[in-house]
Amino acid sequence: MASTIVTFELGDDREVEVMVRPMTTLQTVLRNQLGLTATKEGCRQGGCGSCAVLVDGEPMLSCLLPVEDVAGRRVTTLESLTPTEGLHPIQQAFIDGYAFQCGYCTPGMVIVAAALLDHDSAPSVDDIRWALAGNICRCTGYGPIVEAIGAAAETIGAGQVEEPR
Amino acid sequence: MTVHSYYLPRSLPEALDLLADHGPSLLVMAGGTVVMPLINEGLSLPEAVMGLRRAGLDRLERTDGMLTIGATATLTQLLEQDAVPMLRDAARNTASWSIRNMGTVGGNLFTPPPGGDVAVALLALDATVTLASATARRDLPLADFYTGFMTDRLADDELLVEVRVPIPTAPTAYIKFGRKHANTPAVVTVAVRLAWDGGAVTDARIALGAVGPHPIRARDAERWLIGTTLGPDAIAAAASAAAKECEPFTDAIATDWYRRRMTGVFVARALEQLAPGAGGKGG
Repeated sequence: MASTIVTFELGDDREVEVMVRPMTTLQTVLRNQLGLTATKEGCRQGGCGSCAVLVDGEPMLSCLLPVEDVAGRRVTTLESLTPTEGLHPIQQAFIDGYAFQCGYCTPGMVIVAAALLDHDSAPSVDDIRWALAGNICRCTGYGPIVEAIGAAAETIGAGQVEEPR
Repeated sequence: MTVHSYYLPRSLPEALDLLADHGPSLLVMAGGTVVMPLINEGLSLPEAVMGLRRAGLDRLERTDGMLTIGATATLTQLLEQDAVPMLRDAARNTASWSIRNMGTVGGNLFTPPPGGDVAVALLALDATVTLASATARRDLPLADFYTGFMTDRLADDELLVEVRVPIPTAPTAYIKFGRKHANTPAVVTVAVRLAWDGGAVTDARIALGAVGPHPIRARDAERWLIGTTLGPDAIAAAASAAAKECEPFTDAIATDWYRRRMTGVFVARALEQLAPGAGGKGG
């Protein structure tokens, strides 16, 4: 079978069309064809969470998704989550809380955290840990990450920052 | 990447026709959480793959006493249903949020040990699987489905299309023991369903995961429970029988010795949850 053209929504306002060989992963399309490198390539086994994106608002792993499977659906990456001006409250909370060192896991962490806060605006520490169970960090330690997400929830809840989605 | 053709059928008949046309060389994939890592790593080099994500097989349906689960219903869908609490427990204890959004119930039946935690629950629940080809359809008890490690009774031209589960009327117990609290392979998984009459156990299902070539029934252990009131002696006898009859293996998670020991420990704990006065979880 020759290459095919796949169309999907990227973020809230952009439609993209890509030509792909059969079963090219969404991860490869995002990084290599669209130049969206926030989505990381970690294990390509579904084990690390660094390639997490949202598909129709729910976290999935782009390394395990043939791009054909997301045709017509809405894909949200860290780029689409980041407002034109400033940062998403979760991103700001990660900076304020020193919630990363090397930063490789951060896009996946922020994506999953955004999905969590979308489902539950005031998650408990256990809820946050539970949501992050598939995201591996090998240097920061999870404490500051969990705290940053809790802080972001408070910021958004207090209306100090409009959640820009 | 060597895949020449990727098919995404939009219906079951279309999927079955594709399978009939291609034969066993067509690799069937549902959520992709098992197949995609193999393809990414070059351990599987299929020429043609069929993805089932759009085949319309993802429905959950509750009808008098029965929960029917489409083969591609996700583990998240299983987590969100409330008809069968044991299946919710099983989904909750499987993998991570992103994987549960992708991985399917049907796919879980083909996940090699120590994976396949949902399949263990389904086995304890006396689930029936429906297998369909382009020309025929048949039902098989899950207990008769597996024939060995990664082998089963699914014919080359068949797809597993749904799983039917009788909704339990008495409390059940499900424990997955791993080395972490979440997103962890099992050391052993135990699922128990009992039937009672006047304070005595009349029927028992004890299913074990990660201690055999596929999810297995602990039939000797089950026999020790029949006719008892599930007192400490019966529980100890069943736990010891389960530890004896399981077929554990050694991997990076645990040794066969440890898995066998933990099988006894967790069969006992699961049964203790169901013992009179323990306040079982229900369903």
